[in-house]
This record gives sequence, C-alpha cells and structure tokens, in this order.
Amino acid sequence: MEAASIAHGAAHGEHEHHGPPEANRSSRVEPQLLGMLLFIISEVMVFGAFFTAYFFIRVASGDPWPAPGTTLPVDVAGVNTAILVSSSLTMHWAQTSIKNGNRFGLKAGILATFLLGCTFLFVQINEYANIGFAPQDHAQQTIFYSLTGLHGAHVLIGLTLLLFVTIRSFRGHYTPQEHRGVEVPGIYWHFVDIMWIIVYTTVYVI
Amino acid sequence: MLNPLRSEDEAFRFLLYAIAVIAVIVGLVLALRAVL
Repeated sequence: MEAASIAHGAAHGEHEHHGPPEANRSSRVEPQLLGMLLFIISEVMVFGAFFTAYFFIRVASGDPWPAPGTTLPVDVAGVNTAILVSSSLTMHWAQTSIKNGNRFGLKAGILATFLLGCTFLFVQINEYANIGFAPQDHAQQTIFYSLTGLHGAHVLIGLTLLLFVTIRSFRGHYTPQEHRGVEVPGIYWHFVDIMWIIVYTTVYVI
Repeated sequence: MLNPLRSEDEAFRFLLYAIAVIAVIVGLVLALRAVL
C-alpha cells in the first residue's frame, strides 16, 4: 500500500513528506533560542518574586539580617561563588572549542563545568546541614532557604542539561557547524551563575 | 547592543559585565556603611 503510494507520488514528481507538518515560524529568532529566551524571562520573574519577599523582610519590615543569634557562612559561600564563576569560564571554553573544531577542549570544558557544578551543589547541601538553623525558625531563615534553595534547584536543572551535553560531547554529536546543543544550555548556565552572584551579594555580603 | 540571550558568547560577556557592576555596587555600599 505504502509502496504503491510512494510510486504514485514519484510518478507525479511529488515530494513525499514524513512525520508531522513543519512548525510555523513567526519569529526571526531560532526556535531553540526563543524557547530558552522565554524560559529565562519567566525565571527572572520567579526570582523577582523571591527577592521581593527578601527585601520586604529586610527593608520594609526593617528586621535585622541575619536573624539575631545566627551567622551566615560568608567565606564558604564566597569560595562556592568562585567555583560557580569558574564553571562559567569552563563552559565558555567548551563552547569556543567546539566552534573551532577542538573536540578535546569541548569534552574537557564541559566535563569540568559539570564537575564544578556538582561541587557547588555539594558544598551548598553541606552548608545547609551545618548552618545551625531551620527554615521555620524565623522569617529571615525562611527567605534564606527559599532564595538559596530556588537557586540550588536551578543548578540541579542546569546539571541535568550539562549531563546530557557531556554524554553527547563524548559521543561526538557536536560539530563546528552544529553545536546548538552546547550553546543553549551554556546560556542557561551563565544565567544561573548571574543569579547566584546576585543572591550571594544580597543574602551574604550586603 | 549586547543581548545575552542571543548567543553563549554574549551571555558570557554579560556575565563578566554583571560581575563588574555588582562588584562596584557592593564596594560602594560597603564604603558608605563604613563612612556613615
């Protein structure tokens, strides 16, 4: 039946199309980038809601920060910040490498990014285990865990993306011409990094 | 114009700018706190 249909199409010089119809493109931006763009914009709004709660407690209510009798591990979090910034450098190295056809650079860069991200998350979990207060203790503690936890969840999502990129890199799926699979998670990873720098400076430093 | 959502290159450059701007803001806030 199908063979007859193909023969019929070929006889009439028609193009045989398989699969669903082509998606409509209403934007000049590539669909993959547009998806990430819209996602990041929505993420900024989510973080904005959490920062609103933070500033309400600290500025509008005028509550002391951190709560009396508690301290925040500024130094450990500072080292963790350096780890995350380093992971953005390695991410950029990986992206630049594949653009230039350097497969070793891609694999080393993406693996280093993934491992640095894992280290960041491990240190943060360790910080939670040893910080000495719980989310329900004060409003300040609630927003501390909410902001850092929200960011930690984003790191986990980023690590999931990076895991796929790492596996695909080692399987040789990317080329200098087609490496969007590295580029789009890279943009997300830099966004996660920027958000952490804002979280770190507002929650820990200032 | 720099658009961090256009490519990884621009996102990385935006990250560097953000670090620089935030460092300046934090420096100013800490300096003002020390003075006032």
